[in-house]
This record gives sequence, structure tokens and C-alpha cells, in this order.
Amino acid sequence: MSNIGFILGQLGQTLVADVAPKLEGDYAGGHAAMAGLMAVMAGEAWDGAADRLVREVEGIRQILEEGGVEACEIQAAPDLRISSLETERDLLALKLISLQARLEAEDSERARTLNGKIWAHYMATSQARMPSPPVFPDADTD
Amino acid sequence: MLERDLASRFAAFAEARIDGACNCQVTNLVRIHGGASRQTYSIDLTYDTAEGPVEKGLVLRRDPPDSLIDTERRVEFAAIHSAHGRAELPVPEALFLETDPAILGAPFFVMGRIESGTPVNPFRLEEIEPHRALIGRHFFRHLGAIAALPVEGSPLAGEIGLPAKQDCWRKELAYWANEIRSNAASPQPVAEAAIRYLEGHPPPPAQRLSIVHGDYRSGNFLQNDTGEITAILDWEMAHIGDPYEDLAWATDPLWCNNDTERAAGFIPWHEAIEIWQATSGCQFDPLAFEWWSIFAHVKALGIWVTSAKAYAGGANNDPILAWSGWFTHAAHELMLAMRLGAKHGAVA
Repeated sequence: MSNIGFILGQLGQTLVADVAPKLEGDYAGGHAAMAGLMAVMAGEAWDGAADRLVREVEGIRQILEEGGVEACEIQAAPDLRISSLETERDLLALKLISLQARLEAEDSERARTLNGKIWAHYMATSQARMPSPPVFPDADTD
Repeated sequence: MLERDLASRFAAFAEARIDGACNCQVTNLVRIHGGASRQTYSIDLTYDTAEGPVEKGLVLRRDPPDSLIDTERRVEFAAIHSAHGRAELPVPEALFLETDPAILGAPFFVMGRIESGTPVNPFRLEEIEPHRALIGRHFFRHLGAIAALPVEGSPLAGEIGLPAKQDCWRKELAYWANEIRSNAASPQPVAEAAIRYLEGHPPPPAQRLSIVHGDYRSGNFLQNDTGEITAILDWEMAHIGDPYEDLAWATDPLWCNNDTERAAGFIPWHEAIEIWQATSGCQFDPLAFEWWSIFAHVKALGIWVTSAKAYAGGANNDPILAWSGWFTHAAHELMLAMRLGAKHGAVA
């Protein structure tokens, strides 16, 4: 069985619905519930993580190019590992921060338009990163 | 330290600190989940006095190796001491402060235990029906009462300095911006843009200097089955500043599962504001509230990146820290992106 997202989701459900209620009153019960909720979140995030990061990287490179910022020294991730993609994204994000600060100080329509694009990028990436709301077990679960 | 060892050492400490007490024994000691900024224990203590045997319920708050919020327990102790017994605020009694780590392995303080009430899950506010509105009225009344507490001469003012009214926002923003920049594991472009926005659009000076609870919200008070708030807890971020900071934090969307119809998920906004104005003595200013509500998102990011760092560094393995560094960080980053993006003409 290699459906990791499904496995994490099931593990999380087991911890939240079966294990944590039996530990109620014990300090470990809170740990079990939180671990379960996050296992569900991890299962949900697992499938789309690489896709999300590739889109973030593409979006930032496009904005930097439009803003005339040289970013070719930041090499593309050598593979699709999450850690590799995050390294590339983080290096690009530093340049994005500098570009946006510069645009905010500029009084021009071009700067305002590009700043608006940066905010649209933040909106899209923040929405993509947001996990689904946690589903807590009923208070009277036993 | 094993809990059995902790119990015996605490009993010895209590015997030395309580006048006339002998034969001190800890009959029950349970660690309470949540409150990741301190290790929190509920303790049943018995002892004999010349007047007879005594049973006492206590709460021990001990510094952990690393925590969600890096604050001085001395300040938290002073804040509780400043609010206890005033304005009908249900605040525990601050009993002992001990900074010597040799006693229990880390500095700690001890409060009286409030015996009734349960916390509210911010994601499950429907569970407190049919008392939701009543709790809401108490919630904003107490919030206003905290804002109206005397500052000068308070124990809290004895521990920390008084900022100038016009500097409250700058001091808090600088503190949390530094927390983000010092502790984030990766660049934070949304937070950085928000910090620049807040610096460029300052709020009016504070209408008054107030004791700011710092983390007043659903989840940090106890309520009973008749709709009373029985305890206001978690004073670890208390300081002196602008009362709008608490109002904005208390009504942050995270603490009411994004309920936009009701303030803090409890009662209509106009009613909440009326109660808060009447009890705090402050006038509601939409511009000030706007600034402090955006600041609340930034402050939250500061807490979340700090908790993520503590968890990632291995100093504290409480899963609540991982949750904070992931879910709640994502939630507040999204709030900032949507609110500030709209101000810059961006469309989701």
C-alpha cells in the first residue's frame, strides 16, 4: 500500500476518534488529539505539496522578471524533493521582499500595478497553503 | 523530573512558604494540557495548622525548556496580582513566585485554583449554546474592565516600564517584527509587507495606558454551565499598552472560526463595542481598531514562527507547537494577504 495521503488521514482519524478519547483526563490525551489532527492535515498536504511549491517558484520568477530583478544565479531545484523546492522558493522570496519594498517607495503606476500582482501572488499562495479546518471529535465522544 | 518527585519537592516548598503549615502533602498532581508557554499542573495540597487540617487546590506554572512565548514569569505573576480581586474580574490569586531553578528544576509560580468551569474550543463555539450570548457579554465586560484597571502603582507597573501613549504601537510592532525576523525558519514576505504597511500607517496615540492581557480570547477563559466566566487565564503576554491591542486580539477571526457576524463569535459587533466602551471608558475608533486588528495578525505570526522554532529545535516536543507553526501560521498569513491585498487592488 503506497497511498501515503490516505494512510496519514486514517492514522489521524484513529488517533482523534479512537485513541484520544480513551486518554481523556491524561496529559497524553491532548498530545494524541493534536497528533491526530496534524496527521490528517499532513495526509491532505502530502499529495499537493510539490505542485504547490512549483507554482510558487514559477510565480515569483515571473514577478521578479517583470520587476527587472536578476534571479538567474538562483538555480532551479535539481529535483522535485520538497526540501529542494523549498530552498529555491526561499531564495527567490528574499528577492521578492526586496523588490516589493522598492516598489512601495516608488510613485508610479507601473510600481503600483506590479505591487498589486505581488499581493495577488500572496493571496493565491496563502490560500493554497491553508489546510482544511480541523474536525474535532464530538465533545461527548467516549 | 518525575511527577512523584515533583510532588514531594513541591510539598516541601509549600511547607516552607505557608505560615504555620506542617505535614504538607500533595495528594494529587495532574499536568494540564494546553498552555504550552508554561508547564501547568493542577495540585491538591493538604496540610495541618494550629486551627486544623486544610485542603487547598493550586495551579503550578513552571517554565519549560522552550515554549510558545518567551516571557518572564515574574511579569505574568505581577499581571495576575494586578487584576486579582479588582472590578469583579475572575482572576486566580497569585500566591508564590520562585525564581530559583534548584527548587523544582525551573523557575515557577503558584496560583490559587478556580474550581469550576471549562475552557471553550475556538473551533467549536456552538458547544456553549444556549449561553453563547451571555458569555459574550461577560467576555466584553471583563475585557473592558481589564482596560480600565489602574496602571500606575500596579504590581505590573513595578516590573515593567510605562510606554508613552504615542509609542505603544511602535514598541509592540518592533517587538513582534523582531520575533518574526529572529525566529522564522524561512523568509516571510507577507509578514514583512504587513510590517511595512503598519509602520507606514500608524494608529492614533493610545486613548489611555492600560494593562493589556495580551492573549485574551476564547480558549483562555473558563466558563460554567450557567454562562458565567469563572476564570481568566494565561497572562503570560501581559504588558502595559494600548487597550485596542486586547480588543483586536480578542476579536481576531482565528478565535471564533472566522465568524464575521458576531464579535469574537459571541454577540453582535455593536453590542460588544457598546459594552467595551462602557466598561473601559474608551471611545471606539474604527481607524485605531483597523490598525490593531492587522497588527494582531502580525503578532500572531510572531508567536507561530517562535513556536515552530521551538518544536523544530527539539527543545519542546508538545504537538501544539507544531500545530501553531503550521495551521495557525497559515491562517494568519492568509488573513493578512486577503486584507492587505484588497487594499492594493489585488483580486484573489
